Amino acid sequence: MSMAHSTPNAADLRSRLAECVHHLEHVLPGQASIRDFVHHNTLHGFQHLPFPEAITAACRTTGGSAWFPEQTCRAFYRTGRIDDSDLDAALSQAGERAGIDLDAVLATLGGRSVTRREVLRLSLIHPLAPIPFARFRWLVEEQQALERCQDDVPTERRDMLLKSGDEAAVLGDLWTACLDVLGIDHAFAHPEELIELSAREEDSAAAAAAEDFAGPAAELWETLCAKVGAGGTAAELVKSLTAEDAHAALRPLLIRHLAAHLDQGLAPWPNPARTQGFYAAWKASAAQDVAWTLENLGAAREAIAQLPDDPLTALEAELVRLGVPDARWEGYLERLALELPGWSGMFLWRHHHPGYEGTQDVPVEMLDYLAVRLVLERLFVADIVRRHWGIDYSLAALGDYFRRHPAELLVRHACHAGQHDALPEYLLDLVEPHLPASGDTALPQPPGLWDWLAGCIAAWRRNRTGRDAECTANRGLMRLAWPLFRLAQYLGIDGAALRGIGLPGATALLEGLKLLSDDQRGLLWLEAYERHYREQILAGLAANHGRWQGHEQMLGTGPSAQLVFCMDDREEGMRRHLEEIAPAVETLGGAAHFAVFQNYTGLDDVKPTPLCPVAPVVIVPSHNVREVPREGAEATAARHRVRLASRLGWRERLIQATRRSLIAGPLLTALAAPFATAGMLWRSLSPASFGSFFTARRAAFDVPVSTRLELTAPNDSGPASPQQPRDGFTDAEQAERIAGYLTAIGLTQHFAPLVVIMGHGSNSTNNPHLAAYDCGACAGRHSGPNARLFAAMANRPAVRALMAANSGIHVPEGTWFLGAEHNTADDLITWYDLEELPAALKPELQRLDADLAAAAQAHAQERCRRLFSAPLGIGQAAALRHVWGRRHDWSQARPELGHATNACAFIGRRTMSRGAFFDRRSFLISYDPDNDPEGKVLERHLLINGAVGAGISLEYFFSTANNAHFGCGSKITHNVAGYFGVMQGASSDLATGLPQQMIEVHEAMRLLVVVEQTLELITAIYQRQPPLQELVGNGWVIVAAKHPETGAIHLFDPGKGWLPWQGQIAIPTLKQSSDWFAGKREPLSPVLLERPLEAAA
Amino acid sequence: MNCAFTLVLLVPLLPLLAAFGIAVYILNNAAGDEAEAPTARLAEGSAWLALLVLLGLGMLALVEGSPGHFVVGTWFASGRFTAPISFILDPLSLGFGALVALIGAVTLRFSRNYLHREAGFHRFFLAMSLFLAGMLLIVLAGNAVLAFVGWELCGVSSWLLIGYAYERPTAAGNALYAFLSNRIGDAGFILGISLAAWWLGTVEWSGLTGWAQGSAAGLPFDKVTARMLLFGFMLAAVIKSAQVPFSAWIARALEGPTPSSAIFYGAVMVHAGVYLVIRLAPVLVQVPDVMFYLALIGAATALYGWLAGLAQSDVKSSLIFATTTQVGLMFLACGLGWFELAVWHMGLHAAWRAWQFLLAPSYMHMANAKAAPAPAWLAGRQWLYTAALQRFWLEHLARSTLVRPLQAIARDMRDFDDNMLSHLVGMPERRRAGLAGSGAGDDDVIRAHGLAGRLLKWTADRCHRLESYLLMRSTEGPFLRMLKRAGTYANVFEALLERPRYLVVAIAITFIVIL
Repeated sequence: MSMAHSTPNAADLRSRLAECVHHLEHVLPGQASIRDFVHHNTLHGFQHLPFPEAITAACRTTGGSAWFPEQTCRAFYRTGRIDDSDLDAALSQAGERAGIDLDAVLATLGGRSVTRREVLRLSLIHPLAPIPFARFRWLVEEQQALERCQDDVPTERRDMLLKSGDEAAVLGDLWTACLDVLGIDHAFAHPEELIELSAREEDSAAAAAAEDFAGPAAELWETLCAKVGAGGTAAELVKSLTAEDAHAALRPLLIRHLAAHLDQGLAPWPNPARTQGFYAAWKASAAQDVAWTLENLGAAREAIAQLPDDPLTALEAELVRLGVPDARWEGYLERLALELPGWSGMFLWRHHHPGYEGTQDVPVEMLDYLAVRLVLERLFVADIVRRHWGIDYSLAALGDYFRRHPAELLVRHACHAGQHDALPEYLLDLVEPHLPASGDTALPQPPGLWDWLAGCIAAWRRNRTGRDAECTANRGLMRLAWPLFRLAQYLGIDGAALRGIGLPGATALLEGLKLLSDDQRGLLWLEAYERHYREQILAGLAANHGRWQGHEQMLGTGPSAQLVFCMDDREEGMRRHLEEIAPAVETLGGAAHFAVFQNYTGLDDVKPTPLCPVAPVVIVPSHNVREVPREGAEATAARHRVRLASRLGWRERLIQATRRSLIAGPLLTALAAPFATAGMLWRSLSPASFGSFFTARRAAFDVPVSTRLELTAPNDSGPASPQQPRDGFTDAEQAERIAGYLTAIGLTQHFAPLVVIMGHGSNSTNNPHLAAYDCGACAGRHSGPNARLFAAMANRPAVRALMAANSGIHVPEGTWFLGAEHNTADDLITWYDLEELPAALKPELQRLDADLAAAAQAHAQERCRRLFSAPLGIGQAAALRHVWGRRHDWSQARPELGHATNACAFIGRRTMSRGAFFDRRSFLISYDPDNDPEGKVLERHLLINGAVGAGISLEYFFSTANNAHFGCGSKITHNVAGYFGVMQGASSDLATGLPQQMIEVHEAMRLLVVVEQTLELITAIYQRQPPLQELVGNGWVIVAAKHPETGAIHLFDPGKGWLPWQGQIAIPTLKQSSDWFAGKREPLSPVLLERPLEAAA
Repeated sequence: MNCAFTLVLLVPLLPLLAAFGIAVYILNNAAGDEAEAPTARLAEGSAWLALLVLLGLGMLALVEGSPGHFVVGTWFASGRFTAPISFILDPLSLGFGALVALIGAVTLRFSRNYLHREAGFHRFFLAMSLFLAGMLLIVLAGNAVLAFVGWELCGVSSWLLIGYAYERPTAAGNALYAFLSNRIGDAGFILGISLAAWWLGTVEWSGLTGWAQGSAAGLPFDKVTARMLLFGFMLAAVIKSAQVPFSAWIARALEGPTPSSAIFYGAVMVHAGVYLVIRLAPVLVQVPDVMFYLALIGAATALYGWLAGLAQSDVKSSLIFATTTQVGLMFLACGLGWFELAVWHMGLHAAWRAWQFLLAPSYMHMANAKAAPAPAWLAGRQWLYTAALQRFWLEHLARSTLVRPLQAIARDMRDFDDNMLSHLVGMPERRRAGLAGSGAGDDDVIRAHGLAGRLLKWTADRCHRLESYLLMRSTEGPFLRMLKRAGTYANVFEALLERPRYLVVAIAITFIVIL
């Protein structure tokens, strides 16, 4: 291979590497610091590819597949989450995609034609793949697999098969027929025959010693070198020759430094050189590290001391030293970064968010990280190379060495080759003593040794080929006869029939099993799985069409109150129960940022928090809003501040000083221990009462303060920008935001006297993933402050006047907006600014509050059906207590289930889904199709809310499909690192994605977005919006359209366009939700609920 | 004395029985959500019951006075030496025992929800119950042997729980690391026990302390004896409590579930060493030089834990170094003779740390601000920082002074084995056969190696010749018949031998002969 390359100048290199760092964003996890967790597509870097291709590509790059294992899919089939019609539909689709004629007849048996479809179908629902020989033996000897019919053969086929006689005879004959037809001899060699070096081998080894190994060795070296920088590293290359894992050795060291550098304040003592960047800090520390000496790597200290100060120079020097071809530098760095994807991803994230959370003085440069990573690899690998071969660390030197010692290369490589080509143990025994143990130096070996060993291995290989006749029989047995034998049972074919079709027929049948690749099968299963629930949803929507047409008229006076909830799928249940209890109430849904993006400083906050969406694009607010005490509450506020400061001060002292102080630690420990003991006992025995007591005590101690928002800026203020945010919004800005949002959710007329803007948030104790349960539209925080801000703006007469003038939205004088927050953990509602509520509306609010309280109970009861800790028949009041206790339970790893089970999103009027049960699985986005002639409003919904929904659903999808790879494993061994992430134990890679506890009830399917609008309008939007073409056209979400008037439903197929949907599922009607979910823990299909007013009339 | 005190037997026995029950339940294929409740209830119930019993005994002791050393029965006796089943019921053991049971019960309660739907749910509760039994035994045991049983139960359960996620190589490796480190301490404990039994003829705590105070055992107090004896016990204590230079293992023990990290390394087990020191206080005070070393170790550990703790950037590690620091201070107090202070510190620290460790997952939400920075005189010292980050290289030191030399010796032994012994006994030596030119062409069935081999081969050749001679001579002669009969007998004998009971008998006979 060519080692020549020109040294590019620094500027060139810098821009190249900047490009490379940019590219890393595509392959590394993009998860933010865990306190700001927001759901996003785990494979965001592959979003430009079609969904199935992205999964394949991600698997190739990062090593984790996102298709369900077939075992799981078969379990879905058995439990009815996939039925025959789903499988057939998915099969047809897959056949069409792969260009396979599924109706081609493979064989004709006794007048019955067996088609490809039938064989493929059987291979999907039954495991018909080849099995290992050992398993076969076990099945034959222990399970009498050759004498008994497979347990899962359907009765009809079984009868068909066994009509000609007794079970053992028929199956025995069938097995013989399989062997006969395939021409396989059943005498097989036992693998344990290969335990000794045979004389034959030894002889030929002696002869082979003279053989020429140079050719094959040179070829092998070429292949090995070609991998470096193209999916492999020097460490991996050396590992494949020595079994010494440099990566494993350097990992703890690297993680320790990385964690210390990224730390956001957990460690009181950072690296003194931290402010100079990671590379400099690491260098300063590593140059003084005694560990190098203790680990016999003394030379490393000097090497580190001599490193250049500029990481770029170091990086280049390392790559040149190793001799990676210029063109593969990027590939090499990508591979290095992917060895610790979690940490690399977090480093990259901080690289893109300089100054995050008060870390302005800590530069985080990806190049620093890569340079350290490279230097460390060199130090460790060079040591291995020196110990084994006594040469310098470079591909060229190694190449030279192996040119001189070709046999050694062959032997070493054969020793550590993968499983498929593993040497037998007796050969390994021969080689092993000549390889130095880990950390040891190689001893001089007698001349001719490697040649002799290579000769032995070559002889063994040749002999193995000699034994191939036996092996082929064995392989044929497993690969052909066994699948054919099982397939015949499912087809109901007996021995005679099989002999009838002969070898051509049998081969055709076997080929039918392998028509689809693993990826194609994965997609097929997913489509079948998705289709099952999709059919139910669409049938539910179709059945619900037009049912709420006359509802407004029936009410007579218009809705008694309107409540704007978040589009969050968790609010579907709450809204449904509220409407069941109070039919006169209207609910709407929208993103809970409520279009009032703000830097919010609450009364108790020390610094502002941006409350606005960060996905699909990061928005930085231009306005500051503060929560201040109301007039007359200043004195109370002052007391509140003192009390709060002292309480938090003590808490801080307790939890921080007891871990960091030598003297104060024990004293504070002694002080706090009695309380901790009592608290421990109480909290464990009764979390709910502990929670109630302390919430109340805390509030009383802190002295409640009546507050308001400081939200208005003078109308002549200068422009506000993200760089220079301004305090407050001008009247015009306020009117614009309010009008824009109300238009988006279609609430522009028929205002009720009370319009509630309902934010949401979740509280839990002892949960590192707290932010994952909060409002994604508010950067993983509570969205209550935004709801409050919106209401406060919308109540201002100046704003209303401007809205009437500019946007034609007339809010009647009697209408009052009220902010509130729904806590999704305990289902309680907090109201804001009740002080300002007009007296006339107080009875209305009381009524609404009571209805909401009742809805909360019913909702809690519905949630409890998915929680094993709650008994199935739990009552409503008990359910509310249960979720309250859960919120305060410090031992609860699942305080609530979050977005788990989300499956679809409806963009349209509430009449589309009102009065139907969607099992808390649907995002509900209000949109009025009648007032959007050009589709501008819908366009924004799709671009923003659709993308947010897709992000949530895809994160859940990947974390569920392969939790070990895309999720972060079990919570119970998590350890919080530096306030920004979790590790498994104390020195693992940073774990990103969702923990097992969050996804265990999730059904991983792509989001089905149903839009209530005409096909023409949606098509037009799709055609003018590239982001939508990416998201929808590549199949990351599935889109359906429901015609606003006719209710006809079309499904969008990226390849074929709109396809009319004709579902045939009957949807039952029940009196109320609880009639459907009571006593059930499993996911439920949609049902319709009786319309209360109609029932009353 | 009130015989109600016999109930103390129940205290370690209840969790032990719970562990046994869970084991049986696991063997009966406990699986699924419904199977969790029985396991959790059994483990938790036994802990609460043990606590109740201890509290009851505490009340009784308040009324009647604590009985102190208390023999329930004899475990085994051999000549002069007896090992009774004895407990020690004094304010220290009753108080600390109750605290252990309380923290245990709370942690088990915590785990019921926390470990819901974990694959290792039952295994976890089994190990936790074992631990609780062991820990209570350490606290309540009246003699060193019984305490050692508890000591080992703790060690094994600790290994099981660090390796809870055994599919991760780091977890499995660290479990082994911690276990092996603790074995050194176990050796010390055994040394202490044997010396006590040998020299003093008693392993009772009361016997030991009585001997030290000159009131019992009838033996003159001898400092050398005491020093040797204490060396063993103190070694065990120092390692169990992760004191310098044996601190490295505890920071690697954090791979297990949070509740087990809390109870083992944060709250309870780490104090077992301190408890042992306090138990032996009367002996210790007679040997001030050992106390001096204890103080030194304690001070060094406190300093080590504090400095290393300042540089830790993950919650569990940070807390574990804080724990090490405070336990170091307890050793310091013991070394200075302030045993009373150490007792109080131990109890209070256990309670607080249990609370703090169980809340470790939400540390980042509880802490409002960055931790107060390290003192200015320290913050800028690069070398010291590196030392703290690398935990003063204790692990590396252990590797370069203990592990690697041991491995080297092992390799040398193997080489010796291969190159010398194999030749001598005639094991076929295959390694370089090819180089030396193999014995191909030799058509013998047997290929002999070494002196013994050749001797054997020669004998075999002779026998073979004799056999052929005899067989060839008489095709159907009496000799063959005799041989056949002998063969039958041999078969029967062999069949009998293959049955386990005969094998046992054979082994027993062998033993009797040897003895």
